[in-house]
Amino acid sequence: MAVVYEFVWRMLHALLHLQRTLLSWNWRLWRRAMTAVLVPTVFGFQNHPHNNKKLIPTGGKKSCCRVLWKSDGKSLEKLPLHIGLLIAEEETRYTDIANLVVWCMAVGISYVSVYDNQGIFRRNSSRLMDEILKQQQELLGLDSLKYSVEFLNNSNDKPEQQVLSCQATVKVLSPDDGKTGIVTAAQKFCQLVEQQQKRSSDLDVNMLDSMLRGTKGMPDPDLVMKFGTVDSTLGFLPWHIRLTEIM
Amino acid sequence: MPKHVAFIMDGNRRYARKLHVERQQGHTQGFDKLAETLRWCLNLEIREVTVYAFSIENFKRAKDEVDGLMELARQKFSRLLDEQEDLEKHGVCIRVLGDLTLLPLDIQKLIAQAVLATKHHNKCFLNVCFAYTSRHEITNAVKEAAWGVEQGLIKPSDVSEFLLDECLYTNNSPDPDLLIRTSGEVRLSDFLLWQTTYSCLVFQSILWPEYSFWNLCEAILQYQLNHQALQKARDQHAEARVLQQLEADRCCAADLLQQTGLGKPVDPQLRQEALQKYTAEREERVHSFLTALQEKRDRFFTDLNKGFIASAKA
Repeated sequence: MAVVYEFVWRMLHALLHLQRTLLSWNWRLWRRAMTAVLVPTVFGFQNHPHNNKKLIPTGGKKSCCRVLWKSDGKSLEKLPLHIGLLIAEEETRYTDIANLVVWCMAVGISYVSVYDNQGIFRRNSSRLMDEILKQQQELLGLDSLKYSVEFLNNSNDKPEQQVLSCQATVKVLSPDDGKTGIVTAAQKFCQLVEQQQKRSSDLDVNMLDSMLRGTKGMPDPDLVMKFGTVDSTLGFLPWHIRLTEIM
Repeated sequence: MPKHVAFIMDGNRRYARKLHVERQQGHTQGFDKLAETLRWCLNLEIREVTVYAFSIENFKRAKDEVDGLMELARQKFSRLLDEQEDLEKHGVCIRVLGDLTLLPLDIQKLIAQAVLATKHHNKCFLNVCFAYTSRHEITNAVKEAAWGVEQGLIKPSDVSEFLLDECLYTNNSPDPDLLIRTSGEVRLSDFLLWQTTYSCLVFQSILWPEYSFWNLCEAILQYQLNHQALQKARDQHAEARVLQQLEADRCCAADLLQQTGLGKPVDPQLRQEALQKYTAEREERVHSFLTALQEKRDRFFTDLNKGFIASAKA
């Protein structure tokens, strides 16, 4: 009997592996389709027939796309304030990520975080920033002047542009911002205790929360969109994802 | 096969609404389903299970619902104590994780009894998260580290990811391999946020009281598909951690040398010896701190138990 179970189990594995391989062959096409479908479904769009096409930029449709994005954003009852993009893929595609960030901004999301568990985006954050600005120009054209993007690094929080009619904040994260961030905050608190400025019993959840939030005060992510085949948070901001929807 | 599975048993109230029965019955059915699931896990050789029974946020629910849940806990823990022989036979170790001081005293005492009675069992482990939220757990871990500093057992620079791991309520358990949440919600809801960073997350839309063996198999299958990628990510993180610790030790040892070296340039041999000495001393400090912490935790349960026996005799 056990032999039968094992055989069935192995068959299931084989079928699922086959499915995954087929998907990865059509990877580029699949991914474009997925992001085109996923982004609007996640935001709860109504079923517009031209929805799927509009998010793949084509020359003549650009101006009406932008208008559609903005009006679609306004027609939604509730937008997430902060979206996290968790990239768990083997290849890093800066253009695709930049596209996603610009789409989020266009729909009206105020905060976007980009994360990968090897810290690749963090190390190459200037390249990502350039790509985002380039895509912003390409996708939003004339309207891009209305959108100002503030890039946050840990070292400096000086806003790069003035506050105009729409502002979005983009933050690039790595595992250093997760558990390591909590360890650093813990060390700081212990130093205060050592210097007798605080007692160990003084610490509560709110105090630790404000220590972890720092001076920038970004809200917790409402939604994390995971890209890749791995079903895990891979270290994305463990403290902040308490109530985050993970898709 | 996963060695440690965590469950967020969501959907009791929705189940009760679906069947047009009282909420309390939904919770009772949920408990029965838990017992059944534990048996399946044992059959599948999954030796450790952690469940999210009651969140600190749940105290905010209606008073009669909270009272009902407390009463259910009272009955079930009492039942557990009656079945001690069975627990011993199967070697079940029960741990209850959370801020137990928030619970009624009589439940705290029942819990203490159950935990102490099964402490030395080591065939399988059931961790019940009761009066628990992950943020409270992490905050508590930092507080314990700060207590260690206050007592002069460790220095602030000794605080590391490893140390905080050991200060959590789950210090005696490995991280969960698989986390399953039922009822279709796709949130972690403040459950094991620190411990599930490299766990496979499976969200299933079935309501908890309707959970079946096939649902469990489905989840395990998904775990197996993700296993390689997650193991790779975990190993990478472990490597990075070791390097970080080495770097931190090197800085501290260099600082110490500078303080005592009166500004003279230091040769590499001396630097290496200082690093080794510093690392050994740090590990010694951390070891004695963790021993003291474990004693403090054990004392919490034994004190409760003494109180229990005293009040039982009175």
